[in-house]
Amino acid sequence: MGNDKWITSIIELEQISKKYQMGEVCVAALDSISLHVTPGEFLVVLGPSGSGKTTLLNLIGALDTATSGYICIGGQRITQMTRPERFRYRREMVSFIFQSFNLFPGLTAMENVQFGMESAERKANGATAQGVLRQVGLESRLHHFPHQLSGGEQQRVAIARALATGNPILLADEPTGELDFKTGIQILELLHEQSHNGKTVLIVTHNREIARVADRVIELSSGHIVSDGVPENHHATIADLSW
Amino acid sequence: MKTSLLWLRWSWRDLRLRWLQVLAIALIIALGTGVYSGLISTSPWREQSNDASYDLLNMYDLHLSLTPGSYLDWATLTSALDSMEHADWVTAVEPRLIQPALVDASTDTQTIIIPGRVIGAELGEAAPHINDLYATAGRGLESGDSGQMIAVLEHKFAAYYGLPAQGEIRLSGDTTLQYVGTGLSPEYFVVFTEEGGMMAEANFAVVFVSLETAQTLADRSGMVNDVLFTLTADSDPAIVQSEVETAIHGFANVGLSFSQPQDDEAYRMLYEDISQDEAFWRWMAYLFLAGAVFGAFNLATRLVESQRREIGIQMALGVPPRRIAIRPLLVAAQIAVLGVVFGLVVGVVIGNAFGDVLQDMMPLPVFLAPFQTRIFLEAAALGILLPLAATLIPVIRALRVEPVDAIKTGHLVAKGGGLAPALARQSVSGRVLPRMPLRNLLRAPRRTLLTLLGVAAAITLLVLITGVLDSFNMTLDQARMEILRGNPDRITVQLNFFYPADSTVVANIQLSPVIAASDTLLQLGGYLIHDGVTIETLLDMMDMTSEIWKPSLASGAYPGERPGVVIAANAARDLGVQPGDTITLRHPQRTGLFSYDWVETEVEVSGIHPLPLRFATYMDIQQADVMGMGGVVNTLQVIPASGVTQDEVKRTLFDQAGVASAQPVSGVIRVFEDLIGEFASMFVVMQGAAVALAVLIAYNSTSINLDERSREIATMFAFGMRIRTALRVPVVENLIVSVIGTAVGSVLGFIFLVLMLSDVTSILPDVDMSVVLHPLTLVLALVIAVLVAALTPILSVRKLARMDIPSTLRVME
Repeated sequence: MGNDKWITSIIELEQISKKYQMGEVCVAALDSISLHVTPGEFLVVLGPSGSGKTTLLNLIGALDTATSGYICIGGQRITQMTRPERFRYRREMVSFIFQSFNLFPGLTAMENVQFGMESAERKANGATAQGVLRQVGLESRLHHFPHQLSGGEQQRVAIARALATGNPILLADEPTGELDFKTGIQILELLHEQSHNGKTVLIVTHNREIARVADRVIELSSGHIVSDGVPENHHATIADLSW
Repeated sequence: MKTSLLWLRWSWRDLRLRWLQVLAIALIIALGTGVYSGLISTSPWREQSNDASYDLLNMYDLHLSLTPGSYLDWATLTSALDSMEHADWVTAVEPRLIQPALVDASTDTQTIIIPGRVIGAELGEAAPHINDLYATAGRGLESGDSGQMIAVLEHKFAAYYGLPAQGEIRLSGDTTLQYVGTGLSPEYFVVFTEEGGMMAEANFAVVFVSLETAQTLADRSGMVNDVLFTLTADSDPAIVQSEVETAIHGFANVGLSFSQPQDDEAYRMLYEDISQDEAFWRWMAYLFLAGAVFGAFNLATRLVESQRREIGIQMALGVPPRRIAIRPLLVAAQIAVLGVVFGLVVGVVIGNAFGDVLQDMMPLPVFLAPFQTRIFLEAAALGILLPLAATLIPVIRALRVEPVDAIKTGHLVAKGGGLAPALARQSVSGRVLPRMPLRNLLRAPRRTLLTLLGVAAAITLLVLITGVLDSFNMTLDQARMEILRGNPDRITVQLNFFYPADSTVVANIQLSPVIAASDTLLQLGGYLIHDGVTIETLLDMMDMTSEIWKPSLASGAYPGERPGVVIAANAARDLGVQPGDTITLRHPQRTGLFSYDWVETEVEVSGIHPLPLRFATYMDIQQADVMGMGGVVNTLQVIPASGVTQDEVKRTLFDQAGVASAQPVSGVIRVFEDLIGEFASMFVVMQGAAVALAVLIAYNSTSINLDERSREIATMFAFGMRIRTALRVPVVENLIVSVIGTAVGSVLGFIFLVLMLSDVTSILPDVDMSVVLHPLTLVLALVIAVLVAALTPILSVRKLARMDIPSTLRVME
């Protein structure tokens, strides 16, 4: 790998720490973590509750700031960014997919997708939004509000919204956490497809099964990376998964 | 006990978590209960103070006044009254001589030449026994003052001009009086002028002297024209009146007018005004409380929704619904109690402040302001029960949910879209963000409606209060336009008696070098009667071709050959007549040198004038013959000569024989301007309270709104949306609610205004109050509502900037 990883990495973390002061106790959510991710990689971050995986996702998404260390995403050093720069970074570089979907309940499926385009300052025309929704199999649910959709459909809309931004990095926090197995598999397929389309997909989960289809798996424990590499039984297909 | 403490502690934590919203609602409740308790307390204060003041000064039971220009010999009158069948019903009789006068109370720094009247009353061992004088400065009249050039000035006139307790005044006819004090008398607790001016102390000076002094000044030795009676409790005033009438008509042919305290304008206003004001205060307090109810409902709904899962868990654990309801109800109860405690303090402050305003506006010898426990308890009960009742609705709704549904998290929480789906098919072109505010509002239609009603309540108050001032001002403008039309410097000169139009007294005025032009008039008090309705009037008989001033016509024509009158629009309305109809005019007719009697003449209503004063009636002086008054005048309207000021005219005429008063016509307007000024200062405070209410309601709803939308806003931030862009959504939501709330509030405010002003008309029937909402008032209401709506979300910028985005994204409700 050598210098190549520096040239090809879209996500670079060096000696990143995140510490919280809880009363008199200082808790390290992440402790001197270094990580490099290449474009188009399908990366799964595994770990139990409190291992620091969501903190890692938030730091990469510039939702939170590191206590120390260096983060460079797509050539931009986000650890040194001002607040407005971090907002712009989120508009241009990353898109989030949340466990509870976080769709706007007052907007229809198509409007939620259009919102994603608008937030990334892309022209939010209906045809493009419909196209993205067709990509996730929701062409018949364009004008439905979130409360009129099933959980799986809502998560598809959330993915469509993230895709509609056109940003190169997808950050997914437990994207199948609230879904049944069958729907979860469908969502996973969708995300997997995105990495084939050139997007870098980073999924945070505690579900080891998901890790089986990843290009690379990082396991966190108590704020440290305890393993980093290709998953066991690499080349397992989504059809092989069960939970 | 321990369990109760747990619930209490738990509810305290809920309160602490939303302390700003809690404080806002507590303040709204405080405004409602404060206005209710503070202002309504003034009703019993005023009633008790009026009673005590009239008792203290021994207000008459029956008042007899002779037709203007008539006088009776007091000795003859006394013996006639003694012969009455029910003379034993009369506990006291006091003769008075009342004369119009021009009073010069000028000081080194100001010219004060004001029309008024000299009241001569019999002095016994102390001051007059009936309608006594209450000395507010210096001393009252004493028996030793009889026949002396000693006077007491009416308190409000002296106070208005800041006159010292003792000094010197001059009366027209070049008489100087020493005044030894200032005092209050029951008939002038509120000063009314014959021109309909109310609280007219700036333009009307009352001078109290002994009867003998008044007789000397009027050159009417032994004569009186006014008599006061007090009667025993079991007497019948109607019988006494009839016997007095018979006794007097046995020896004199004069017109008599009788009145009882309730006919006295000051008395009527002091008492009737109480109930009208109270109704207004109640409306205001209810509107404030309505705001509190809407606010409490919104907060309770938000609170219960945020506790949905906890409620579900309690249900799952088998806690009875009644106990589950304790926590939100405890929160509501504590907010209400906090609001009521604040409110009671606000009530005491408002009550005392308004009491001060009352004492200043309408000073009485006795002002009683005991703490009104019953009213404060009513306010407390309303302040606690209404918000609690508003809280019950969301609590009951939350308790009806099945535990399994209440415990659900994430997308499984079945949150309906309210009315939002109705807009799902709206045009898909254009940006998405601008669609969000309306969708959000429709998603929670009940809360939107209640916020809207809260804003409407505040705007209703604002429009009502400002509308009252607008209506007063419009009425004033109408009067100003008519009275000052043509010759705004016009001065009305009243003579002290009826004089032939070609007399020296009149000629001396007309030929005065300070006067450029003049007309002679005959001014008489009288009554307009039609179809069983009788209204008092002040009849000006004038030259209807006058170039100085004559009334303009709103409809009809000037009187022609036949006797005709031009009356006010509200007089026509009250009498049920229109131009061309015939009415009865009851007016004085001369029967002797010092005697006039009442006679009735049929006259045509020839026209309607635009002056909004019902008592103003005009007739052509050519028709005075019909009334037996031909060739006699008692008033002139004059125009100052070029370069001569109104003050110079007043001063010149002051020394002229026969002049009772000289008053610029603008003085009538000033009376009303002063009156409106008094009200305006009071209403400005209320306007401030209404704006505060609007701010608190808007802040409260915005704050709750942002709480509810926090996850959505965090999602926007996660997608890199700027704060100002994300903030646009709640700002626009507030704007929509505020604009609709303003429209609803404006309509409601106008309806309340009409209702309120119809009450004013019943108390001040002589004023034809125009119900007006100035466009500027509506613009002001809209601007305030829009500013408040737009600015309150901005108060949350700091909160949004400090938002912990990752935590907020994970919020589960």
